[in-house]
This record gives sequence, C-alpha cells and structure tokens, in this order.
Amino acid sequence: MRTVRPLRFLGATALATLVMITFAPVAAGAGPAPEPSAPRTEVSVSSVDLDGPAVSTVKVTVKNTGPQRMRSLKVSFAGPVGWAVQPALTSVPGTFGVGATTAAEFRVQVPGKREGFTLRTFTATATYAGGDGAGSATATRTETNGAPLANLAAAYNNVGITDEGETGPGDYDGEGNSFSAQKLAAAGLEPSGRVEALGAELEWPGVSPGAKDNVAGAGQAIALSGRGGKLVFLGSGVTGGATGTATVYYTDGSSTSGSFGFPNWSFDPADAHGATLVASTDGRNRPDGYGNAGIAYRVFAHSVALDATKQVEFVVLPSNRNVHIFDMAIAS
Amino acid sequence: MPGIPAVSRRLLLGGALATGAVAVGAGPAQAKSAAQGSALPSPSPRRGKGQRPMFDVPFDIHETVRVGVIGIGNRGSGMGEGWAVVPGCRVTAVCDIRESRAKALADRIVALGKPRPAEYGGSTDAYTTMLKRDDIDLVYIATPWEFHHRQSRDALLAGKHVVVELPVATELDELWDLVDTSERTRRHLMLSENCSYGRNELAMLKMAHEGLFGDVTNGHGGYLHDLRDLLFSDTYYTDSWRRKWHTRSTASFYAMHGLAPVAAAMDINRGDRMTVLRATATEPKGLADYRERFIDRSHPSWKETYVNGDLVTCLIDTAKGRVIRAEHDVSSPRPYSRINSLAGSRGIFEDYAGTSSTGGRIYVEPDHSGHSWRDFDSYRKEFDHWLWRKIGDDAANNGGHGGMDYVLQWRTVQLMRAGLVPDIDVYDSAAWCSPVPLSVKSLAAGGRPVEIPDFTRGSWVNLRMGLDSRETDMPPVA
Repeated sequence: MRTVRPLRFLGATALATLVMITFAPVAAGAGPAPEPSAPRTEVSVSSVDLDGPAVSTVKVTVKNTGPQRMRSLKVSFAGPVGWAVQPALTSVPGTFGVGATTAAEFRVQVPGKREGFTLRTFTATATYAGGDGAGSATATRTETNGAPLANLAAAYNNVGITDEGETGPGDYDGEGNSFSAQKLAAAGLEPSGRVEALGAELEWPGVSPGAKDNVAGAGQAIALSGRGGKLVFLGSGVTGGATGTATVYYTDGSSTSGSFGFPNWSFDPADAHGATLVASTDGRNRPDGYGNAGIAYRVFAHSVALDATKQVEFVVLPSNRNVHIFDMAIAS
Repeated sequence: MPGIPAVSRRLLLGGALATGAVAVGAGPAQAKSAAQGSALPSPSPRRGKGQRPMFDVPFDIHETVRVGVIGIGNRGSGMGEGWAVVPGCRVTAVCDIRESRAKALADRIVALGKPRPAEYGGSTDAYTTMLKRDDIDLVYIATPWEFHHRQSRDALLAGKHVVVELPVATELDELWDLVDTSERTRRHLMLSENCSYGRNELAMLKMAHEGLFGDVTNGHGGYLHDLRDLLFSDTYYTDSWRRKWHTRSTASFYAMHGLAPVAAAMDINRGDRMTVLRATATEPKGLADYRERFIDRSHPSWKETYVNGDLVTCLIDTAKGRVIRAEHDVSSPRPYSRINSLAGSRGIFEDYAGTSSTGGRIYVEPDHSGHSWRDFDSYRKEFDHWLWRKIGDDAANNGGHGGMDYVLQWRTVQLMRAGLVPDIDVYDSAAWCSPVPLSVKSLAAGGRPVEIPDFTRGSWVNLRMGLDSRETDMPPVA
C-alpha cells in the first residue's frame, strides 16, 4: 500500500481538490539522510484552472525546511497522461536558505470539460542538493469534478452471467462466453445471495441472467462509505494480466492505493496474483449454448489495504478491463 | 490564366532524380538512422530588424468582413459564394483572369440576394488593381499553386489579411517570405485548410488533448484522391495546370489535408515541432496508364511525360519524438481517404476505416479491450467540437466538402468580427506546406532526411490555443 498524507483539502460542491505530498528516497550523493523526525522539504502545487479548453498556469512552490542551504534545485511537473506541459522540467537558479520558499511556473494544456466524474492528477517533483538531504520531494494534487457513481451496480458494463437457455447476451471474456447461472447457483452463487470472502460480506449481483452484472475495470469512480482494514473485491480475470491499481479516497482528502489481480476465470492457478478462490463452476455458456463441461470457471476474492483510521469516500477501480468485479466491500 | 511560370531548377532536379532514387532507396532502418544523424540543412533566416512575431495577435474588430476573391475556377467559385452567405461577411470584389468568370460569380452572389461585388480580370495582374480597394479586409486566393506565393504576398503588402488555398507556396524561400511579410505587415495569412475543421478531425484533436490516446506517439494522414479523370479534363483545372505539375516534379504536392489535422493533434508549433522529413516515391504509373486506356491520341496530354510518383510518402519526426506519415496520391485508382489516424500509449483512432456513421473506428484503454475495433460514433458525439454543434446544420446546408468549407469560412469571419486570434496562423501554414519543397529535396538526395525549418524561430515550445478553441458567439449582425 502506498500512503499519502494530505497537506490541505479544498472542497466544493462541484469541484474538490486533494493535495498530497510524498517523499522519494535519497538520491545518490545528495547528502546525509535525514533523521526520521527531521522536517522534510515541502512541495505544493497550486490550484489548476480546469475550465478548458485553455492553457492554464500552475505554480509549484518549494520550501526548504531542512538544516542546510538548498542548491541545484530542479522542478519537474506533469499532468494527466497525454496533457501537454511547458516546461516539463525547469532549473531554479540560486541557493535557498533554511526556511526559504521559491516557486516555479508551468503551463498546461487543459482540455474541454467532460461530462460525469473526472479526476485529474498533477505531480511536481523537486530534486536538489542540501536542504533536508533527502535529494527529492514530490507533491501530488488531485482535482475532481462531478460526483462518483452511486454504487458498483451503477457502473455495471458487462454481461457475465447468462441462462443456459439464452446465452446470447453474454460476453464476459470478449468472445461471447459467460458464466452459467445454473452452474453458479449450484456453486452457491445466486442473485442477491450473500458471499463471504476475506472477512468481507459481499453480495452476488441481484440481476437476472443476461443483464449487465459486473464491472470491467476502466477507472470508474464508485462511491463507498465505511472504515476498515481492507477493501475486498469479488470477481475474476479474462484473457491475461488481470491486474491493476485501486485507489481509495477518504473524506479527509487523502488516498491510498493498492495493486491486486485476479486469475483468469479458467486457466490460471487459483492463487495467481495472491487471489483466493471463492467458487468454481462447471463449464460455461458459449454463444451457441452451454459447453466446456469439465472445465472450471471460477470466481475469486482479493483485497487492497485501507487506512483503518479514515472514512472511505469513493474508490477508483483499476483501469484494466480484464479485471471483472461483481462486488466490493470493506472488511475489518 | 497565363502560362505556367518557368519551372524552378530545384523542382526539376527533384523530379528527375527522384524517379531513380526509388529503386535504390534506403530501407526504413537506414532511413531512421540517417534521420537522426545527418539531415540535410534547410535555411532558417533570422527575423528582420523591427519585425515582430504574429503569435497570439488578435484581429482588429471588423463589423463586417469584406472579402476579395482571386481565382474563380471550381474552388474559388464555390468558396466565393460561401463567403457571401456567412453572417457579417460581404464579398466586395472578385477577380479572375477570365473576366467572364468574375461576372458569373458576381451574378450568382446577386442571385443570393447579396450586393454585387466589383469585377476584375482580363490580365495576370488584374488582382493588383483589386488590391488597391479600401473596402477589402480579407483576400481569398484560389488560383493555381504557382501563383499563391506572389498573390498572397501582394495582398499582405496591400494591408489585407489572406486566406489562401493549399499550398500557400511551393518553395522554401517563398514560405519564409510569407512568414516575414506577415510579421512585417502585421496581417494574418491562413492556409485554407478546411479539413482541419472536419468533424472527425476536430473530435480527434479534442480527444488527444483529453489524453484519451495517452501520450501521442504517431499519426498518419494524407490526400489519397483519385483525380485522374479531373486531371485529364479539359475544363476542370484551367489550362490543365494541376496535371502539368505532374510533369515537372516528384513532390508531395498536397498532403496538407491529412498532415494538418495530425499536426494540430500533436500541438505542432504549440509545444512540439516538425524537425526532420524524409520522403519516398513510387514510380509514376497511374496517369500514363489512365491516358493509355481512356484518352484520345489527339489529346495534348500525349506530349507529356509524368514524373511525379503516384504515392509520395513523407515521414516526419517531431522534437518530442513523434512520427507523422503524410501521404499523397492523386493518380491511382482508389477510394478517397485522408487516412486521419492518431495513436499513442493508450489507444488509436483511424478514420476511413470503420463501418459506423462517422466512418471512424477506435480502440482506447481502458474503455476497450480484446483487440477489436469499436465504432467512433459515441466518441465523436462526446468530443464534438463546439463549431459543429453550433453551426453544423448551417454547414450541411451551405458548404461543400461535407460542411467543412462553411465551418472554415464561418469561423474565419467570426474571428475577424470578434477580434480573436486565428486558429491557423502563418507559422502553421508554412510548416504544413513545407513538405512540398522538402519532399523534393529529400527525394533528390535519394530519400535522405532533410531539416524542417522552425518557422516560429524558437517559439514552438510555447503552448498556445489553436483549433481546440473556446466556444464563442458570432457577433450579431446589425
């Protein structure tokens, strides 16, 4: 789990801003390593005008909180992938005494606003000699617009379960195949049925066979409330590489992120990516009807760690459509 | 129109040598290696004393945009009427060496219920008389390519803004001259690049800015249009001017319709720039074969020898490490395409390839997986440019080329009436047209890479607004 702590939180009904600061390891030759409790270099990213299309100016501020003068300061800045930034890296001339603050300006090509929920992340990294001796410090600013989807069901975008008598709507794997509702029931997975896994109480999708019943991961933001030690996902993978990162945002503006993966619903070892087998069904529904009897098609559970001291606000699912999720729930 | 000006030595050399170069041309790996290390230099003259850039220079506000038209062939005729119907625009003068064409256009403009424009013609320099009028704000030029530079330059020097058809000039020194003349006169020159206002092209641009393709790494565009019947027509291109270019040079004459939208999506001159070009050309087979099959032996074309390769391909590197492939082919049997494709670390868009109503197809992560194309329709709808949402219906009713012409004309008039910065400036125009002379140079050198001049003189690093503009209204017409 990668943890970031909030520097400050600016909230609004339509636009929320999350600012975080993290620290990178000491760069070689950058000076002595700081004491664990020593003040760290502070990097902050100004607000970004996202009323595009526009070219917006962003200010990155660096404060030398270390015991030494800061020198050879370079600041890099990046926006969301594909966004043009000018410059990507700049050198800040001079040296900076203890407590001194300096700033660098960047320009970013902001696209037009999109409908729905958007989450834009901006990252500034300062590298330097002296100062706190750490060699580098990074700040991340995340700006959100709109509201996350109300629940996972609102994000359903895939038909993973069909009736053996009507397999046509199914397309769990992109090739028209799907779980058999009858075989799932035989394995204990029925609509709206309770599923316990990894300490979480989950629910099997309460929809009829042939309806959209799961989420193929595409970075969807889903509202979720509660506290706990981990977030458990119920699902399985298709094709290969069904892995990704889930990022959990808390009500205080901070976030944690963790990687997880599911085995392929059929051919991977059941413990691939560290997943836990929940249920195994016999065969699958193909476009021309039930088939592949004798081959197991499976559902797994996996989890990412949470900061148990904080209240969860929403979750951003992995941006990988090979990861299929039937439900998610917080566990202690 | 008068006889075509003398063929330049550079163009002739390019044509003569390029044909042989094709057979012995270097392979892709060799070409890439050469491109990185030994590009042929191209001149980049310093900015003249007292000369200032035209970046972010807004138009003076014009309550009515008064247009003078030079060149009333097929293109100028249609566009001449197009200018007349844009709100707040008036065609005040029209000029063609054939006076009858000027009169015919004036008649059609009157038939549209508009004031009759003044008519000029009868000589090659009749347009210079027209340029003396003080009721012209914008000159639109649609003459054969060989006249574009001189007429554009004269119009700028007469204090007019200029919209000129492709290409704005065919020689490198002419392109530089137009940049310098625009900067000296403080008048804008804009390539009449209607395809940059295409609905799919603009959506592709907005998607690139959104980051849907991830970090954009490559794009392909071109002008692939079977013009053989028109090239051999005795009436379509006056004095067969366009076919005659194929007797003079091996060059990418007209790839801008495909190159410009890709360049816009890569923010060329607005954060990136084209640095190196290398060209290949196939053998010139198409026109001679067509003539053999369809053209009577008494036709004057039988005295011609065609030297331009049917398919001329330019590979263009950018400062940010991207690659653009720009193609030109007007002499082969094939359906129309501008290719119009853009790709990056997270996906790809291809135009002219799908079966959807938009004609495009797409594959972007994380929206898509499974190695299969998806329809572009929903993306075109989401990323539809405000110009098409606002005036798309008018464009469909008034404009040629699927409405792109009207969108370009409406937007140009709006920019001038509202006092805004042009979407396409002289630097874009010069850069997009530079493959014409640079392809000649590359092919003459056996496909060697050649430097693409930086017409911005270093300012390409600055992010600037362009075709991905903010929505604004057309000022009301009194």
